[in-house]
Amino acid sequence: MILRLLNRACVLSGSVRLKSTLSTFFDEMGKSGIILKSATTGIFENLALEDWIHDHVDLQNRSMLLLWRNSPAVVIGRHQNPWQECNLPLMRRLGIPLARRRSGGGTVFHDFGNINMTFFTSKKKYDRHRNLKVITSALKALRPDLEVAATDRFDILLNSHYKISGTAAKLGRTSAYHHCTLLCSVDRSVLSSVLKSNTSEVIKSNATPSVPSPVRNLLDVDPTLDSDTIMNAIASQYSNEFGFDGPVITVDPTHEALMPGIHKMAQDLQMWEWIYGRTPKFSVCSSLVVDDVTVKLDMDIKNGAVEQCAMEIPEDWLPSEMVNEFTSALNGSKYCPNEAAVLVAAFTRTVSVTADVAEKIHRLCAGVVSVM
Amino acid sequence: MAMCTILRCASVSLTSSLPRLSNRNALTPARLLARTCYKRALSTTTRFCAALKFTDKHEWVRVDSGVATVGISNFAQEALGDVVYCGLPEVGTKLAQSDEFGALESVKAASELYSPLTGEVTDVNDALADNPGLVNKSCYKDGWLIKMTVSIPEELDGLMNEAAYERYIKSIED
Repeated sequence: MILRLLNRACVLSGSVRLKSTLSTFFDEMGKSGIILKSATTGIFENLALEDWIHDHVDLQNRSMLLLWRNSPAVVIGRHQNPWQECNLPLMRRLGIPLARRRSGGGTVFHDFGNINMTFFTSKKKYDRHRNLKVITSALKALRPDLEVAATDRFDILLNSHYKISGTAAKLGRTSAYHHCTLLCSVDRSVLSSVLKSNTSEVIKSNATPSVPSPVRNLLDVDPTLDSDTIMNAIASQYSNEFGFDGPVITVDPTHEALMPGIHKMAQDLQMWEWIYGRTPKFSVCSSLVVDDVTVKLDMDIKNGAVEQCAMEIPEDWLPSEMVNEFTSALNGSKYCPNEAAVLVAAFTRTVSVTADVAEKIHRLCAGVVSVM
Repeated sequence: MAMCTILRCASVSLTSSLPRLSNRNALTPARLLARTCYKRALSTTTRFCAALKFTDKHEWVRVDSGVATVGISNFAQEALGDVVYCGLPEVGTKLAQSDEFGALESVKAASELYSPLTGEVTDVNDALADNPGLVNKSCYKDGWLIKMTVSIPEELDGLMNEAAYERYIKSIED
């Protein structure tokens, strides 16, 4: 049964023997360098694939390159604040998911026009400059006139000005991975609108910030450069640089039998507690205007939940007991528009209020939710 | 590094003041020290109780009255580069030895932190939130990461003392 799965899930070269997992397959292949390509375009499945390889594959005497692309998604670094980094309401409207990766670094936008590359090595062989050289050499081999170079920050710049690649990395017990993006033909208007936060001015946080840069697609400078051509060139250059041989192996990260535990890893990456709950403690200080009245809002958010909420509202607009009830309802809740709306609606049902006050509370809630 | 020397001297004087044991119970000085810190309160424990112990992941542990303080070694902080963020656990988190308990983000990468012992987190260094660079500037003192209880004191025996750790570093640098 596993053999059938293998045949369906992997495009393999040479003879296929019964293997228990992808990890043992690599061991038996005996190659010291392997190039993989992901068969899916789901951000969570692909991030889980990275984690699975990092945790289960023996990388002490073997290095690997994984090539992957995703349908539109925003990916934040491990210690970042999504409310500071991107426009969450816009992303919800456009159906663009948010993911938090386990490596550090800043926020990026992925779509099919972006290539992701993950270089897996032992900790000893961790060398980001060498990896980036694979990419710049591959591009120059394709188009010798292309002016691309890596910087000290491990970005790759086009024409010394436009960022076409950003880097992040994770160091584990004995192995490491370095991954980076490459802008080939990304939708730049979506990129710039989703990566612009609507609430960064009201947030005070010590989360790691992104460094915004002007970007460009490789397609903009050469319309004949498509993602597939570039991926093949990178795979070829990787083999040259590290002295490996062998074909590119396609892997389907949704096949649990090949990669036991990968399904749970993908599920864990989609949990609210990971994506939003891992945001470092921050505070929100905002002046909202509701019904021509200025409301001052102060909240402390810890682990993605409202730890403390205070509001200054003119007494004649809404009595202070109502304000206290409102803030109490939010205390301890997830910093999330749906949750806030549900809690406030529930509280207006339990407390007896006039229709007028209920309306005011409803509009106040809408104002508060606008910063979530 | 001077601090390490002081601790070494303290540990030597402690062992010489302990009662002699029969050969059957022959214990290494480090082991004596570890046991003493839990079983007895010595007057010399007020300043430096135990010597630093090290893991092969370059974390250090110092036990004082049953509470272990954990940090990363000088070798580790140099290798990491400037720390820009410390991702640490909540107080009350239960950790088994080698469990991942957080990560330090530096320009180099996000580096995972592994618990040197089994126990429960009792304190987290809040100073690191606004000043993560303390991990680089004062890795053995102000840059401590967490404090935890010690559920299995014997685990300390498996850790390296300072001399062994220094030999270990030399072997991996070659």
